[in-house]
Amino acid sequence: MSIHPGTAAKRKAPENQAAAGTAKVRRRSPTRVNPALYLFPLPAVAVIAFFLVMPTLQAFQYAITDWNGFSAAFNYVGLDNFIRAFTKDSLFTNALTNNLKFVLLVVIAQTAFSLVLALLLTKNSRGSILLRALFFFPTILSSVSVAFIWKFIYDPNFGLANSVLRTVGVDGGAYLGNDAQALYWVAITQVWFHSGQMMVVYIAGLQAIPKELYEAAEMDGANKWQQFKSITWPFVAPATSIVVAYTTVQSFKAFDLILGIAGNPPKSSLDILSTRIYSTFANSEFGYAAAQSIIFMAMIALVTWLQRRLLRLTPKGE
Amino acid sequence: MSQISRRQAMAILGALGFGATAAACAGPGGSTAPAGASGPAAPSTGAVTGKVSFAHWRGEDKAVFDELIKRFAAKHDGVEVAQDISTSNDYNAQALQKLRGGSIGDAFATFRGAQFKNFSEAGIYTDLKDSKAVGNYQKGLLSAGQSGDHQLGLPYQVVFPMPMANVDLFDKAGAEIAPKNWDAFLAMCEKLASSGVIPISWPGGDVGNGGQLFNCMIANNAPVDDMCAQIEQGKLKCTDDWFLKMLNQYKDLAPFVQPNATGTAVEPAQNLFSQGKAAMLATGSYHIAAVRGLGAKFPIDLVFPNTTSDGKGKYEGAYNATFILGVNSASKNQAAAAAWIDFLSEPENAGYYANQTAQHVSVDKVEYTNPDLKRLSPWLQKKTALAARFQFNNLDVRNAVEASATAVISGTSPEQAAAAAQKIVDERL
Repeated sequence: MSIHPGTAAKRKAPENQAAAGTAKVRRRSPTRVNPALYLFPLPAVAVIAFFLVMPTLQAFQYAITDWNGFSAAFNYVGLDNFIRAFTKDSLFTNALTNNLKFVLLVVIAQTAFSLVLALLLTKNSRGSILLRALFFFPTILSSVSVAFIWKFIYDPNFGLANSVLRTVGVDGGAYLGNDAQALYWVAITQVWFHSGQMMVVYIAGLQAIPKELYEAAEMDGANKWQQFKSITWPFVAPATSIVVAYTTVQSFKAFDLILGIAGNPPKSSLDILSTRIYSTFANSEFGYAAAQSIIFMAMIALVTWLQRRLLRLTPKGE
Repeated sequence: MSQISRRQAMAILGALGFGATAAACAGPGGSTAPAGASGPAAPSTGAVTGKVSFAHWRGEDKAVFDELIKRFAAKHDGVEVAQDISTSNDYNAQALQKLRGGSIGDAFATFRGAQFKNFSEAGIYTDLKDSKAVGNYQKGLLSAGQSGDHQLGLPYQVVFPMPMANVDLFDKAGAEIAPKNWDAFLAMCEKLASSGVIPISWPGGDVGNGGQLFNCMIANNAPVDDMCAQIEQGKLKCTDDWFLKMLNQYKDLAPFVQPNATGTAVEPAQNLFSQGKAAMLATGSYHIAAVRGLGAKFPIDLVFPNTTSDGKGKYEGAYNATFILGVNSASKNQAAAAAWIDFLSEPENAGYYANQTAQHVSVDKVEYTNPDLKRLSPWLQKKTALAARFQFNNLDVRNAVEASATAVISGTSPEQAAAAAQKIVDERL
């Protein structure tokens, strides 16, 4: 197999031939590329086909079976697994509820917190750069390390949180042991873990806003809130769109953090969709777990689409 | 060299996509190698040489196994054993998939209960019925590795999933270490609390370890020995009187566990015990080495929370026969793997393992020299119940049933907790 010469040379060729006025020349579009170039993405396509497309298609097939993951025998059960997930499995609906609550909490808190941090640290002063690095630091930690750090903080006996509270005479709580609060404590961990990363996205957005707009607004007598509302917020809307979408997906997939902090399997108050799917797989219900995975995938797509529709953060045409 | 046209390039990409789609449509379970019609075969024989992968979850025993591997290699020229260790939770969840191919886990261990059952059904075990090793075990302790007429695995460890006691703190408080009934057990806790220590350190935030107490609490309360299997099958219910009685006894324990116990992970619970802040650690004898490692110097005994009112319970304790050793049917080096299992099952080597890891073994004629094991050895002769929680084959059911006890300790009413657990069980019937 050989590859045609570069496109520049190809563009020249018809002109030369036309000038010579000799042989009949097939005209080529100036944008036409050598077909062999279509093979260049082949390795990437192959990787995607084998590691993404194939497992995804298989998941659809498994989802309509009662396969246990190791037996040669299985039955096709139609949509039973999907019906079971929504009507006969309170562990799944509990995980779904927990997950949506977790997403909502984290998206709101993380977006707000990272925006505030970015607003405070936009200037490239030494102090700001140092603080940015500090807030970004948790992002480079592995989620298992983060889970263990916060597991220690939340431990009711020897943990940092209760130790600090005891010094001021306050009895601490059970934190992760309190079913009504557990999800909120993990949400705080998640926000701590990823806010620095989102702050960087916002800082990039904020630094791209022309200073002249603020100067003009100030001359017009706009206060800080009015400047934020009318200049900053519209200009960082694309960044917000990225932050919200990324945080949503991240919160749906907080698998390793939950497993690290709450153990395997996590108790029901901390069970989210990804940990529930893992438990179902571990429970040798591969067919059912595959159905849950498809619901999970659809749920992420739906929530992300709804967010984009409702928040209208991305201007048309972008 | 010929050129590739656009059409050809598209055809290649299309074929690739079609191939991926076709491959994805292959039916599940196609690669399974089920046991033959006559059941699992014995491991193949041959020269004891080559590489053996030994898959298990006991990271804390790695150094002890390393020493045993050295001794095994000294006996057999050219043999090499490599440990493939996962955490217990990962092992529980993933070992079956990892071992099916046979490239990992020529020899392996499994948990008793659901994992053993799944491995048996997947045809991963060979039959060790006629192996040299099987004769070294106490016959009464082999049942956990049997399936029909086949001895698929050899339960290596004997552990007591019962609260461990700091004998010094009991003596100081004048508390009875072997309470005869439930009132006596509560009185014992009261005495310990009055002496200024936490009576029970319980890792309620850790599902696996927190659930061990369940084995003791249910042993004498249940009307039958296979109570958990019957709950799973719907023959017994969590809302039955006997189960509610047990949950009410959990409620009695609530004032005697450390504050915020449901948020306590296993390591802090071990620390409370090893530092002498708590008189009991409600996990099991398998944590002796860990608490010794944390600096516990005091003598350790076991306490059975006797839930009977008249002291006439069927059982005096609870035990578990686990770490079930097996030889992988997909292994390409079964002879060496079986030799390794034979080697581990020799009394001398089993004794080395037991004394170094502070865990009893089910191998007969083992001499226990470890002071903790010597002290606990009388428990091997007592009438103990085989740990009930491992009868559950469905992990969701097990977690839901055990979570009812945790919920009661955190303040939920026994009736409400039982109903919540039964709902999950009913959904999985």
